[in-house]
Amino acid sequence: MVYVMQLATAFLGSLGFAMVFHVRRERLLLASLGGLLAWGVYLLMGFFSDQDVVRYFFASVALTVYAETLARAVKCPATLFLITASIPLVPGGSLYRTMQFFMRNDLDAFSHQALTTVLLAVSIAVGMLFPTSVFQLLQRVRNPEPKKG
Amino acid sequence: MEQEHPFHVFSPAELGQLARLESADEANEYLYQILDIGQYMLQSGGEVSRVEDSIRRLCLSFGAERADVFTITSSIVVTIYAKHFGAVTQTRRITGSQNDLHRLELLNQLSRRICAERLSLEETCAALKELENVPQYSFGTQVFSYVLVSSSFSLFFGGSWLDAAAAGVIGVLLKCTDRLIRGTKANAFLSALLCSCLGGLLAGLAVKFRLGDNVEMISIGNIMLLIPGVALTNSLRDMFSGNTISGLMRCIEAVLLALTIAFGFALAAGLV
Repeated sequence: MVYVMQLATAFLGSLGFAMVFHVRRERLLLASLGGLLAWGVYLLMGFFSDQDVVRYFFASVALTVYAETLARAVKCPATLFLITASIPLVPGGSLYRTMQFFMRNDLDAFSHQALTTVLLAVSIAVGMLFPTSVFQLLQRVRNPEPKKG
Repeated sequence: MEQEHPFHVFSPAELGQLARLESADEANEYLYQILDIGQYMLQSGGEVSRVEDSIRRLCLSFGAERADVFTITSSIVVTIYAKHFGAVTQTRRITGSQNDLHRLELLNQLSRRICAERLSLEETCAALKELENVPQYSFGTQVFSYVLVSSSFSLFFGGSWLDAAAAGVIGVLLKCTDRLIRGTKANAFLSALLCSCLGGLLAGLAVKFRLGDNVEMISIGNIMLLIPGVALTNSLRDMFSGNTISGLMRCIEAVLLALTIAFGFALAAGLV
């Protein structure tokens, strides 16, 4: 039940952010479904690993493949789907808690939380990097650079 | 006695130089417009690598033999070279950016179209003007999106329905505050501080008057609106893909902003 709630709110949260970022109406559904997918993969990966870093990494890989594929299908920048769909993954809450510990002068908790935040952000960033490079490689093979002059 | 010519007659060498100057002028005009496109892309949330790539392609499609583009989040430098006009350089300082993914999509389409159809200066200018008049979401819809985000993330992190409702109401007020502050063009950190302080105060009051169960759970929904989580992730992505300076700048900006927000909420918690 908790999972269903999380999935639903991940979807709605991404939808909200898509609107905040001015994604146009026709793309709203696709963009926010990406958020649902990302969180779905995160939850699924829970069966295989209890390491958050691993779960975030695979969720981000899945989400990037989704974004890049869609970008080619509907002809628009992949960033549009990537940014909106990564909203449930992005360590905003963790970043906030880090700074909160800093404010409370609780340095042990701060360093622990800061490390978590950085690790999560890194695993998401690397997860995005990997499929993006593969897609770019494929594109370069299919249509090479424009001729100079 | 030889009569002086009433007009100066250009030698072939001089003519060549004039033609060169003329095409350098033209190249400057084109480059200015290309930088416009690059600037708008960067300001609507385009990645540094995308902006660099688009500018380079545009320059090459306009006849440059070589184009060197250096972009960081706050500046673009482009030098183009071709035999018939020499090297031409322009710099652009970029300030303030706000994610507008629809605009980014349109700019991307435009730059593709320019490359494919070789639009003239006037045509490009008209197309850019048109971009300014693209309808955005109405204020009501934007308020709704704030409510949606606040309530969703309040529930997402385990808040009760009451918390979600409180977060939604606070979201409306935050959007209004944000709009007011944005009108004055105030510093981004100041606006984040004010918004987070207000958010924290209202969340505290809501719990005090039993309109919410848990201050943390209400706040987290509003925090998601303010906190630069996406910026932090993107900054790392920038660094990993070789744009180290941009990445560092964005990363520091994100950390400072997060600190400001945490400070705002801490301040509010002290007051309530």
